[in-house]
Amino acid sequence: MANEHNKNSERPVAEKGEHIIARHLIDDDAIKEEKNLVIDGVDVSGRWNTFIETRVDSEFDRSFFGEIQKTVVGSRINRCWQCGMCTASCTVTPLYRRFNPRAFIYMMQLGNLKQLKKYVDVAWRCVGCYKCSQRCPKQVNPAEMMEALALLIKKYFPEEIKSKHQLTIDEEVKAIYEGMILGHGRLDLANLHTSAMRKMGKTTELMSDKDERGAIFKMMKDGRALSVLRLGKPHKWHKSKDAIDNYLRHAGTLEQENN
Amino acid sequence: MAENILVIGGGPAGLHAAIELAELGVNVSLVERDTFFGGNPKKFKYKYLFPDLQPADNVIGELIKRAESNNNIKKYLSANIESFKEDGKKFSAVIKSSTGSETKTFDSVIVATGFEHFDPATDSKYSYQLFDDVIDIKDLERMMGEGNFTRPSNGKAPKNVAIILCVGSRDRHVGNQYCSRVCCTVSVKQAIELKEHFPETEVYIFYMDIRTYGFYEDLYWKAMEEHDVQIVKGRVAEITSGPDNTVICKGEDTLLRGPFEIPFDMVVLASGMEGGPQSPEMANKLGIELDEHGFLKQENVTLSPFKSNKDGIFLAGACTGPKAIADAIVEGGAAAMNAYIYAKKNS
Repeated sequence: MANEHNKNSERPVAEKGEHIIARHLIDDDAIKEEKNLVIDGVDVSGRWNTFIETRVDSEFDRSFFGEIQKTVVGSRINRCWQCGMCTASCTVTPLYRRFNPRAFIYMMQLGNLKQLKKYVDVAWRCVGCYKCSQRCPKQVNPAEMMEALALLIKKYFPEEIKSKHQLTIDEEVKAIYEGMILGHGRLDLANLHTSAMRKMGKTTELMSDKDERGAIFKMMKDGRALSVLRLGKPHKWHKSKDAIDNYLRHAGTLEQENN
Repeated sequence: MAENILVIGGGPAGLHAAIELAELGVNVSLVERDTFFGGNPKKFKYKYLFPDLQPADNVIGELIKRAESNNNIKKYLSANIESFKEDGKKFSAVIKSSTGSETKTFDSVIVATGFEHFDPATDSKYSYQLFDDVIDIKDLERMMGEGNFTRPSNGKAPKNVAIILCVGSRDRHVGNQYCSRVCCTVSVKQAIELKEHFPETEVYIFYMDIRTYGFYEDLYWKAMEEHDVQIVKGRVAEITSGPDNTVICKGEDTLLRGPFEIPFDMVVLASGMEGGPQSPEMANKLGIELDEHGFLKQENVTLSPFKSNKDGIFLAGACTGPKAIADAIVEGGAAAMNAYIYAKKNS
């Protein structure tokens, strides 16, 4: 390994934060280290300029709270007292432990972007089942709070979303979603999930990633994946379908008006 | 012949007990150590009472007025019980006041000597009295009573305020393991008052539990939902000086599992209630028992909470444990009934 470095660069450079004792306790993001850095003519490349950012939070940013409170979906953020009923009833949390509506709401209340940033990859995973909103003792409406969260993540971390998670296919996912609803009259979670992944070109991840495969397997096992076939279309579906069709036809114009 | 009953302490409980007994025709001797009646609420100029934010004067002022205008009550101010002894089923006490000493015989006695606010200066981690902008619950109550909501250090509106709960309560380190019951409700009440006065001020409450029991919960909900008061879970372990004339609260956000060191313009310590030096003093003088928390001991906390362990001596109000003014007033009435029955049987 060291030899390779010698070949590829002028001088050997250590891996990021390699020389920190108990390196496993420090988040990657908290380590500031330039591989090549010269200050006042002195070469401090590599570990010589290693700097660990403090874990200590030194402010509560209430402007963030205000911003969320102004949105329709986030207007009840001031109500949350962190009982955890939302996370306890969440459909997603058992599959993705890092998806924790209770904690996300708290981070939003305190404007803790540093923490929120760590969850860019899972924060949008709410499936909108509204169990949390039905059970929330304070009527915070956490399900819609997750929508506020998604909007804010989109606003504050556009780079992370693009570079790390390729979540730029809103339109495509929307098309899958609409196609499924209009075609079957029901939401087939397993189908929605797999087709969205396929559209994103993540076919490899679909089969290889432990979490993804586990999720699909679980949905097959508990019958959610097959519920559409078993249940058929909802009663008097054509009326609902007409209404949805009508809504979708006008949705574009509605959005423009709102803007 | 009318019964003679001694009421020690002229706070909400003692006043109410005295008034009730006097209305039954009892000759009441009401002994108060301060120069005024009304107890701690009067002493620290409580302005508005929870849960309905009614003026304290509606309650305390009213009790004082009714006691003062009742001729069956003999009032002793700046007074204390110099000596006390049992005399068969009766009691003999020497009451010393500014007008001299008086020896009297009583059929029964009500002790309503109340509580003392915990002194946060005795717990150095809070830096109370070290920084002007670190005040406690009674300081803020008095300030607000005087119409002053500003920072003590510079008289300006605070940008942000931290309210720290459980100061001097639920803390083995200071010797008080109990919950003081009212500080949570007083704190959310004060948070609301602060926000009503300075809507732009950010108010944070650092808590381990928020115990606004019963209907006091309404006030807690109101603070959050109508005034955007933010609760942060974790107790503050240290208060130090910060930049730009701020004080820094250092603690752990136990929900995020992360340390914080946040500068505040003003810190309010929700200091709890203690039995004070008067509780052991009363226990010694009257020969009644003290409990393990430093308050006067009830004969049976559930069945006979207004009785001391000695027949004929009854207890009311915060001398038996932390409680709200409303509870103290209720207990004054209950103890009055107990004391009246005892006196009636034995006179």
